[in-house]
Amino acid sequence: MEVRREIEVEASPEEVWEALATEEGRERWLEEPERQIHIESHDAPSRLTWWWVSQEQPATRVEFEIRAVPHGTRIVVTESAPSFPLAQMAGAFQMVAA
Amino acid sequence: MSTGLDSIFDALADPTRRTMVSALIRDGSTSVPALSSELPISRQAIAKHLATLDDAGLIERLPGSGREVRYSLRSEALAPASAWLADAEASWDARLARLKDAVGGGPGGRAR
Repeated sequence: MEVRREIEVEASPEEVWEALATEEGRERWLEEPERQIHIESHDAPSRLTWWWVSQEQPATRVEFEIRAVPHGTRIVVTESAPSFPLAQMAGAFQMVAA
Repeated sequence: MSTGLDSIFDALADPTRRTMVSALIRDGSTSVPALSSELPISRQAIAKHLATLDDAGLIERLPGSGREVRYSLRSEALAPASAWLADAEASWDARLARLKDAVGGGPGGRAR
């Protein structure tokens, strides 16, 4: 079960990387103090993966793909809840119920 | 919300139970004999897995099905999953908008 969102920003991949991969950078936008970040892998400045762990909710895995586009940088984020493999079930169920 | 999610997580952590839920999505309803034709486990084991799914609120016994007990998915069972998806999407849209502001290109831009 996962969600995927993306955005384009007017900044370089290196600037985006700094905002995603460093604690100081994340403080400027993330606003998730109750969730702990455990970096799984990093490949600057193009790919970053972390696990989000908190008391309230199941652990999720967050992956960022960062790549240069003509006027800035495209960021694609995928958040998945691996222990919750319901995405296709929910989709199928909605079709059955419709 | 976390309580409902936890029991659904636990119920669906098992591959046999996920197969059962898939069969229910496909067939609408099922029973111990129907499941035993496609799962390589005993009827007793199947009944136990069905009880776990029932406890998690994912399935319910169909009323008036005579000698053979039949089960179907509860329509509200997958609501926590839908809620998670909707919440995660909305949260990322807001975070990415803040990220855009933080790295420049948003309101106020960025002095270079």
